[in-house]
Amino acid sequence: MEKTGLIFFPAFDWAISPTHPEREERLLYTRDQIFEEGIIDHPKIMEYKPRLAEETDIQRVHFCVPDVKSQTTTAHLISAGSTLKLADALMNGEIHNGFALVRPPGHHAMRVVHGNRGFCNINNEAILVEYLRRKYKIKKVAIVDTDVHHGDGTQDIFYHDPDVLFISFHQDGRTLYPGSGFVEEAGGPGAYLTTINIPLPPGTGDKGLLKVWREIIKPALEAFQPEIIINSAGQDNHFTDPLANMKVSAQGYAQLTAELKPHLAVLEGGYAIETALPYVNLGILLALAQEDFSWVKEPGCHSGQLAQSQEVDRYVDKIIHYWQSKLAGKRPDKEQLFGPDKKYVRQRSIYYDTDQIYEQQTETVEYCPDCQGLYTVSSQAAKHSGKNYKIWGLSIPYHACPSCVQKGYDLWEKRIGLFGYHIFYLQDKSRDVYLTRK
Amino acid sequence: MLIGIDVGGTFTDGVLLDNFTVKEWVKVRTEEDLTRSIQEVLNYLLEHIAPETIERLVLSTTLITNLLAQKKYEPAGLLLLPGPGTNPHHLSLPGEFVILKGAIDYRGRVIEPVDLKEVEEAAGYLLSRGLKRIIVACKFSQRNNTLEKQVVRHLQHKYPDLKVKASFETSGLLNWVRRINATYYTLAVEEACHHFLSHVSHTLEQIGLKCPVYIMKADGGTIPLDLSRKYPLEAIFSGPAASTLGGLACTSPDITSVVMDMGGTTTDLALVLKGKPLLSSKGAAIAGFPTPVRALAVASLPIGGDTPLVVNNRQLAFGQRKGPALCLGGPELTLTDILVYLGYSSLGQKETIAPFVHDLADRLELSPRETAERALDLLISLLEEALTHMCKTWEEEPAYRVWQVMADKGTRPRTLICLGGPAEGIGQLWAKKREWQVIVPSYAKIANAIGAALACTTLNLDFVADTENLVFYTSIGGKQGTLERPLRTLDEARAFALSLLKEMKGDWQSHELERVEPLYAEGFNIVREWRTRGKIYQIGLQTPPGILGTVKEV
Repeated sequence: MEKTGLIFFPAFDWAISPTHPEREERLLYTRDQIFEEGIIDHPKIMEYKPRLAEETDIQRVHFCVPDVKSQTTTAHLISAGSTLKLADALMNGEIHNGFALVRPPGHHAMRVVHGNRGFCNINNEAILVEYLRRKYKIKKVAIVDTDVHHGDGTQDIFYHDPDVLFISFHQDGRTLYPGSGFVEEAGGPGAYLTTINIPLPPGTGDKGLLKVWREIIKPALEAFQPEIIINSAGQDNHFTDPLANMKVSAQGYAQLTAELKPHLAVLEGGYAIETALPYVNLGILLALAQEDFSWVKEPGCHSGQLAQSQEVDRYVDKIIHYWQSKLAGKRPDKEQLFGPDKKYVRQRSIYYDTDQIYEQQTETVEYCPDCQGLYTVSSQAAKHSGKNYKIWGLSIPYHACPSCVQKGYDLWEKRIGLFGYHIFYLQDKSRDVYLTRK
Repeated sequence: MLIGIDVGGTFTDGVLLDNFTVKEWVKVRTEEDLTRSIQEVLNYLLEHIAPETIERLVLSTTLITNLLAQKKYEPAGLLLLPGPGTNPHHLSLPGEFVILKGAIDYRGRVIEPVDLKEVEEAAGYLLSRGLKRIIVACKFSQRNNTLEKQVVRHLQHKYPDLKVKASFETSGLLNWVRRINATYYTLAVEEACHHFLSHVSHTLEQIGLKCPVYIMKADGGTIPLDLSRKYPLEAIFSGPAASTLGGLACTSPDITSVVMDMGGTTTDLALVLKGKPLLSSKGAAIAGFPTPVRALAVASLPIGGDTPLVVNNRQLAFGQRKGPALCLGGPELTLTDILVYLGYSSLGQKETIAPFVHDLADRLELSPRETAERALDLLISLLEEALTHMCKTWEEEPAYRVWQVMADKGTRPRTLICLGGPAEGIGQLWAKKREWQVIVPSYAKIANAIGAALACTTLNLDFVADTENLVFYTSIGGKQGTLERPLRTLDEARAFALSLLKEMKGDWQSHELERVEPLYAEGFNIVREWRTRGKIYQIGLQTPPGILGTVKEV
């Protein structure tokens, strides 16, 4: 029998603060609903005990400032570790898919971590992807982010990675945090069109969601041929979510899950803790287990109130048309995209809403005809504590060519100790070596 | 003085303890009428003792287990009020069911009313199917029992002859499927259990025993005889619980060990961690249907001293019991015979067994000694596999809190306590092959009765309070109520929960409140629109399974 793995980690003893949306109560009613259903005893569902992620698992993804320990609580390590435990169960054939119903979430955490952004410190899905690559030699992974907020952290981490297809649909960044995720953000020059953003207007319902899935996401996945599909299973597109304005129901989420068939789903946001989460989580779990979810209905919910307007219909059609023609068109040449300097440079400032931090950073990616190329970042942020860190990080990609590896280490030797920086990071994914110098 | 009686499938064992010393013990064959075996044991134990000197009697019986295994009960129909969630038509339940309107949500709010006309029709249908008993189960009835009560009242009014039972009385824990199953089986055995207990009371009266009488529970605790009429399922699988406690009582009170009880046809393995028998995380299953009944985590293997050796595809294997061991006059070569053959047991003569071992060896093209050793290796590896699985299940028990994930589960046991007939031989063998410390108590053959005699009362309370809605609910008898004042802090909630436990203490005749330990205690802020509206508290309290003391070895 094909089994669905479940790690349920509601972290009943962890909160950002007592009244914060990320508080102990968040998954309480979900626990009640799922346990009362008796679904835990279902022969198709295997419940696993969470485990902790190790420091290396996090260093494979992040430059944590000043170190991993100060950016993570035990709950973060358990949340990330739970996805890894399910990955092991998936890869050794115990389960055919799995659901990490865990908190705290992670999809707003970017490569450089100065603090908490959008309730996230470390990126659970990114840690999972790097673990799958390192331990199981998985080459191509797709992440489909179904949270109402743009998965800007995950996008940032894999922006230059042609082996990770990142697709996010979300409420348009002009109307919602984090204010990004527009169609123009389509991946770096070496990974162009492996980032697909689908901003949707407020008021989009099940109909629009499923249409976007069937007409953009599904064909994109079919073209990319990932070995593993990961779902960032945020649930705040729900019509009752207090932090967003969409009209999706538990049925919509369950139907999407049934068609997407992710190998691993990881809970992200969703803060309608009574009216949405118990039902959406149950719907996703049943869909993963290929069980009937037609009885999962929010009390007092009438289909009429969830109909999306014609204006939304038109907008959805427009964005579908945009992506269909974009993905059908000829892909521009990588060398051309890098431009005459053969180097990608991006300067930006990043706001950490939870921790009130402004980060200034400059990233570069070197053009290499044989691999993804070297990535560097220089970043500075003043913390509310008054401590100001300036860091420099170098990332050697997983499939780096020998010459880029050599170039990377030469660069590392040259840069460490450079005046004005507090911490230097070397992230060599090709050899699984992670160094920090202060 | 204390008496413990364990009514097993083949034998009924009894023991009389005086200040933790075995004063008398007896083993008789279990008769069809269990009360007669109990009477026989008591007559023997009390031959030279005045009944007034007995302070306590604990009975462990297979009655309920047997009734259920032999399906000696009338089936019941089920009226289900599922509300939103999984498709109820796909549920696998022990009886025929009808789905009705009416729903409660996770906070005990009615989200859909009952349709009494529909209830009547459904009951009419079940009656037409020849069913005379009906279970009413609503999801989240442990948080609000009004819908179940409404349906039950209506049915009793409409069909006075019908036996109806609501699920909220059976369990207050989350998991309605387990609650449905437990309610079904409670109704199934209620009458027979009542009948048996009355019979036992009558017998004890005749003998002149006036001391408190308890029934052993699956979790290793005890329940007063009168109260057990209300919770008949608590008595299932009490046999393994009795022997686990017996193993503990015959050794030391803070031991970490595996208790192995090997009988003729089965072997039970139980874990004892620092003197506490490990409880199964989810509850016992009856005929494959899971229930919320708390039980010790016991692994039962269908292998025992009478298990014969057979050849399967040219490989040595274990067969089905045909009778006792050869050396005891049985028809086939069994594990007990192999123990004798290799010198681990003195139950019989090696010479009488040898020809049979040779014959088996020929069929396997091995030497007789190799054959015998291979049989025991097979046994050891099966036992070890079951043990490893059990330890792993315990270590990998799901955890929902940071502290639970971080909790140190300690090291796996390296001590084996052997009980039952072939215990001594198996013990020697295990000690030799696995380098464990092996203990074979001198009372190994009646340890189950000793365990019953010395079992503590266990009480377990799961308490939930919702201060926004001013309600509370418990796991005991479906007790629900209104909070007269909001509990402001976790300490206040804890004190309230403890007061509820104290109320129960009277019914349970427990004198052990000092043994109450917290299982979990947490408070959740209910925050809506950035305002704290109240708190939800979850508190678990228990007096854990354990023993009154250890018996003195002879």
